[in-house]
Amino acid sequence: MRSLTRGNLKTAIASVRGAKWRSLMTMMGIIIGIVSVVTVVSIGEGVKHQVEAQTNHLGKDLITIRPGQTVNRDKNGTISGVNLFAGYMTSGTLTDEDVRTIQKTKDVSKAVPLSIVAGKLVHDNRQYPGVVVVGTTPELPAVFHQKLAYGDFFTINDSNENGAIIGTKVAQDVFGQDVPLGQSFDFQGQSFVVRGIFDEFKNAPLSLEADFNNAIFIPYQVVQDMTSKKAQIYEVLAQSKPGASPNVVASRITDTIKASHGNQEDFTVLRAGETLSVTSNILNLLTRFIGGIAAISLLVGGIGIMNVMLVSVTERMHEIGIRKAVGASSRQIMNQFLVEATVLSVTGGIIGVIVSLLINVILLLFTPLHPIISWQVVALAAGVSLVVGIVFGTAPALKAARKDPIDALRNE
Amino acid sequence: MPIIELEDVSKLYGFGDAATVALDEVSLHIEEGEFVAVMGPSGCGKSTLMNIIGLLDRPSYGTYMMNNRSVAKLRPPRAAKYRRDTIGFIFQNFNLLPRLTALENVALPLVYKGMTLGRRTRQASDMLARVGLQHREYYYPRQLSGGQTQCVAIARALVNNPKLIIADEPTGNLDSAGSRLVMELLSEIHKTGNTILFVTHNPELTRYATRVVYMHDGAIVRDEQTVIGDVAPTARRVMYTVPATTVEDDLAGVSALMNHLPDAEPAATMSLKEKTRKTGKARRSKRSRT
Repeated sequence: MRSLTRGNLKTAIASVRGAKWRSLMTMMGIIIGIVSVVTVVSIGEGVKHQVEAQTNHLGKDLITIRPGQTVNRDKNGTISGVNLFAGYMTSGTLTDEDVRTIQKTKDVSKAVPLSIVAGKLVHDNRQYPGVVVVGTTPELPAVFHQKLAYGDFFTINDSNENGAIIGTKVAQDVFGQDVPLGQSFDFQGQSFVVRGIFDEFKNAPLSLEADFNNAIFIPYQVVQDMTSKKAQIYEVLAQSKPGASPNVVASRITDTIKASHGNQEDFTVLRAGETLSVTSNILNLLTRFIGGIAAISLLVGGIGIMNVMLVSVTERMHEIGIRKAVGASSRQIMNQFLVEATVLSVTGGIIGVIVSLLINVILLLFTPLHPIISWQVVALAAGVSLVVGIVFGTAPALKAARKDPIDALRNE
Repeated sequence: MPIIELEDVSKLYGFGDAATVALDEVSLHIEEGEFVAVMGPSGCGKSTLMNIIGLLDRPSYGTYMMNNRSVAKLRPPRAAKYRRDTIGFIFQNFNLLPRLTALENVALPLVYKGMTLGRRTRQASDMLARVGLQHREYYYPRQLSGGQTQCVAIARALVNNPKLIIADEPTGNLDSAGSRLVMELLSEIHKTGNTILFVTHNPELTRYATRVVYMHDGAIVRDEQTVIGDVAPTARRVMYTVPATTVEDDLAGVSALMNHLPDAEPAATMSLKEKTRKTGKARRSKRSRT
């Protein structure tokens, strides 16, 4: 039996190689299907990995409060839907008063407002419209668990001075150097001095979070003075006290703000990792969508293989006749064509995996994504192409096997 | 001991009014070790008979015993086993697989037996040596002459040591040198004890046979024993009668062979012209009656 399979394998490979161009075209559907499955799954894996890393970095005690209702929750408090537009369209429902309320809530150790300020950033007579300027309070690094690479963050004592802490990307893009300490820039007609540079923020791609590497942090107090207390709060970061359950604290915050907003829930409280779970949800949706397309592609690829094999069986009827005449049983003929169809589809699968590896390298080099190709994905690809070959090779193989030897011999 | 016993075997193609009778209640017994030539005009059912004996086809009616076992209604897998182990088939158009070398072609029946690569290569190589083509093992069929190609096909038929060799016009596509080569080989194989059944149009080749069977319209019309080395008597009469066929005969689909069969007119005394006219008429009238 083993020698038989090996013989079939040899015949099949010879036959596939005999018509290279046709075989490649036949495999195209499988290749495209496998490439999309492997690429999407590996991107998903990579993002999940990054998301987990970020969650661990930020800590389990972080609670985010945002204006507008960005998520829908079911009865158990699990996020059941994402309201993307609300997140971007509404702002200004959180006020200074809310920040103080959060601060006073039981078991909250720190509450830090983040306020995005619109305005012109000028350095060396050049404008930088892409840079985000965020007003915040001295506790930010502690809440974020984010260290400064150089310099220091402002403290309560100098939080009304025009000092600024910048992200790594700003250092490069605006000042063109790694450590632009002491450099100055103009914002809203006021001059600021760079006093610190953050370590690189590790953002997960597709995250709802702003890219803080591309942000400049200035004291909240200064922002309030600059905008006559009209600065809008983008989000409030709260840290629960050690020992207190972040879930309990989060619902407590929800209740208090709701009460002070006239029982209206026009804000969103997200527990640690939930911002990221929103990302994951979007990603899962995307994966499923592309997975569906890939499944269709595999189906079409399988039909393509079936088609070519049917033609091949008709073309090689005489060969089938000869093989039967010298003693091949129907089962042996069937095996031969089944192995051939499987060789076609598995070769397609292998080419697909190789192409996905190339795509992965390209993604790694040119995008912030870090796709991970796991052996599970490769096994999945191999399994799927094997199954496709067997499923779609059966009909042509049966056609070949059922042919009467004498009829087959007459075909020339 | 008879190796083949056909009893009233018929083969019909098509259904109802469109049915044609390819074999009409043929009975034939072949003893082990016989070297049988089958002769007859085109379309007389020779090939159908060969296919049925070779288990490539099944009879519509009648019984077929091979080695005292009924094989007329074998299921396809069993028939495949018989074809593989007890029958060697040789075709007019060789029927080698063009993409395989001579050696691989010869080893093909062994592949289906499940033999390992090493063993089947050795056995196929031995068999090629036996037909005198050891130096052509890695040639493809297209690189061989007609006679050599048929020798490879014979080696393939022999590789499983089958008791019965069936050759359907093995020399049909060969020139005289090729025919000679192939027939000498077959008679050598016959000497080692194999039973051989072959179809031919060439009366000269009945020299190799021990028995000649003449067929016409799906029936066996004459069956005679001959001596190896001599042309069979009936076939000889065809050979030395000029012309073998006339245009008229060809159009009517009648071979000159039939004119010399005992059931035909005693034509020997008649002039050639008269003879053809008369038999031609007789045939036609017979045809219109049926």
